[in-house]
Amino acid sequence: MDMAFDQYDGAPDGALLVAFANGDRAAARLLAIRLTPRALGQAYRMLTDRAEAEDVVQDALMRLWKIAPEWRQGEAQVSTWLYRVVANLCTDRLRRRKRNVGIDQIAEPEDPTPSVTDRMQDDARQKALADALASLPERQAQAVALRHLEGLGNPEIAEIMEISVEAVESLTSRGKRALAAILAGRKAELGFDDDR
Amino acid sequence: MMTDKRTDLTDLELDDLFASARTADPDPTDDFMARLFADIDDVADEFEQVALPTEERRSLLASLWAALGGWAGASGLAAAAAAGLWIGISPPASLSTVTDVIWADSVDVSLFASEDILGLEG
Repeated sequence: MDMAFDQYDGAPDGALLVAFANGDRAAARLLAIRLTPRALGQAYRMLTDRAEAEDVVQDALMRLWKIAPEWRQGEAQVSTWLYRVVANLCTDRLRRRKRNVGIDQIAEPEDPTPSVTDRMQDDARQKALADALASLPERQAQAVALRHLEGLGNPEIAEIMEISVEAVESLTSRGKRALAAILAGRKAELGFDDDR
Repeated sequence: MMTDKRTDLTDLELDDLFASARTADPDPTDDFMARLFADIDDVADEFEQVALPTEERRSLLASLWAALGGWAGASGLAAAAAAGLWIGISPPASLSTVTDVIWADSVDVSLFASEDILGLEG
């Protein structure tokens, strides 16, 4: 780690945010270094577009810096807050995409032949999944993404989405069923052999 | 048959799909981190500008205080003001001598209204 950050070793995220509110820019830089990789991954897995994912993370962190003076340590986890804001910003963008492009018009993978590499298969699957998430109700899309793309437990998702664990279970269950139906016509391009 | 292909994905297939999506884990580039750091500086600058008017007021008062000589100067000023008031009310004899030389006549100054306020004395 950079020598300039040594003084913050072990400092909780909330403490760094409060330090920034008191004029300590280095504290915010360290917080950005800590939080960005995970937030960028979360946004990218939902949007499958790097530029859009970066815009979402930049927007989310800008909001975080601006609320720093009002942040009360111990009342909330910065990471939980960030998961929530990134998820909301991503579903906003997915909703706009859905308005602009119908699910049936979404681009097919460039080369859907059986000879595509695993990497291309992953890319095609990620794109198809993002397209399908865009057509889910917003809260279902968020719950499914947090559970199955981020791998979070239901209690943590409940905290992020500010709902009960039961509501999370219901959203993820309905969301998965809806995804299974939406993607039914795209099994071949996703690499699933319908005859097996 | 096309209709045969319209079956929903199984749980296994969905899990496979999620597993593919989880492999996507982009690293932040240096350029992107530089953009984030620039944002931090912008917001910090805004915070400082909001705090500045209070600081300016404080520094103006501090300058005035320093010009007066701080506590020593202020106490000296208070003592001078008190002495001036006292001299005005009860001028010492030495000061009367000085004024006699200047005006060649004595001047009585009374803080109280004249005893002959009604002008009854001839």
